[in-house]
Amino acid sequence: MMAQDHLERVPSRDDIDRMPRTELGEAKWTDEQRAEFMRRRRGRNWLLLAALAGFSMMIYGIALVKLHEYGQMW
Amino acid sequence: MTTDTARFTPHLGAEAGDWIALLKPRVISLVVFTGAVGLFIAPGHINPMLGAIAIFCIALGAGAAGAINMWYDADIDALMRRTTSRPIPAGKIEASGVLGYGIVLSIVSVMLLGMAANLCAAAVLALSIFYYAVIYTMWLKRRTPQNIVIGGGAGAFPAVIGWTAVTGHIGLLPMLLFAIVFFWTPPHFWSLSLYAATAYEKAGVPMLPVVKGARHTRLNVLVYALLLLPISISPWLLGLTGRIYGITALVMSAVFAVLCWGVFADAQDAAGVSLTKDRPARRAFKFSLLYLFVLFAACAVDRLV
Repeated sequence: MMAQDHLERVPSRDDIDRMPRTELGEAKWTDEQRAEFMRRRRGRNWLLLAALAGFSMMIYGIALVKLHEYGQMW
Repeated sequence: MTTDTARFTPHLGAEAGDWIALLKPRVISLVVFTGAVGLFIAPGHINPMLGAIAIFCIALGAGAAGAINMWYDADIDALMRRTTSRPIPAGKIEASGVLGYGIVLSIVSVMLLGMAANLCAAAVLALSIFYYAVIYTMWLKRRTPQNIVIGGGAGAFPAVIGWTAVTGHIGLLPMLLFAIVFFWTPPHFWSLSLYAATAYEKAGVPMLPVVKGARHTRLNVLVYALLLLPISISPWLLGLTGRIYGITALVMSAVFAVLCWGVFADAQDAAGVSLTKDRPARRAFKFSLLYLFVLFAACAVDRLV
């Protein structure tokens, strides 16, 4: 219902900034397109999360090993 | 009307897999293998976890350089059938985003390798990314038919980085491994380009068969394969590896040279165009992939026994 309201009212500047657009203006979404868009965005977000988590784990791992084995980071 | 509809079609965004495809995963598999061998044969000890992170960094750095390459080459990728489905020419990802992605991953890979291994390894990784992304992709690829000779250096770095990650310095053996990959690249790639020259011609990339013709390319394939033979056995002759590697390198290089002779002596017309649908070139290309894998594997086995 909220999504419907959003489409019917005149979009604010904030809304326009958030929505994906085409060359000539806002896209007209079908339900399938919206679902596909959400699925792809979710996939990208998971990938980004995995990358950030992996990066943090690696920094943490390097610090642990180095401090344990050599007593210093550098 | 059709145009308006097309313009109003919503852009659904890229799949997560498209961002991974930018890193050229198939190239990375070879990079990981040669990097791991370099790390394995190096004298000294590295914590297994730091070793695994070092290999990951080598792969990430290679992927980052690959992404920058895709950003720069998006225009010619759109012209070649082999590359039209890449994320940028396929319209799945915007080029400017890919440049940022490549730069960020380059920085992260170099920084992580510096932390996990040492600054020397990180510096060599940074140099390899610069070499591939700037010297090869931006400078030489579209300017000279010798592009692939110089570009071969980019693929030769991982073994050196792996070694340096353990030892902290560059030794003679990794330099010889570098030379092997360097001299292996021209016959490997030119064998392929002999039967894929049309695509490069269409894209305006001055590959050797396009600029100098097939006959000249065949001669070069043979010359580099012959040069590769003494270089490939030099680690054994210098006492840096054992007999297993030496004999393997000798046999594999001899077979490769014979196959490249086949490319040179292939039945051809006056312009050097093959009358056998480039069967010898296809055989040489396939064998070249096996060649590098077996040579590096032998190097690792030699270290084990």
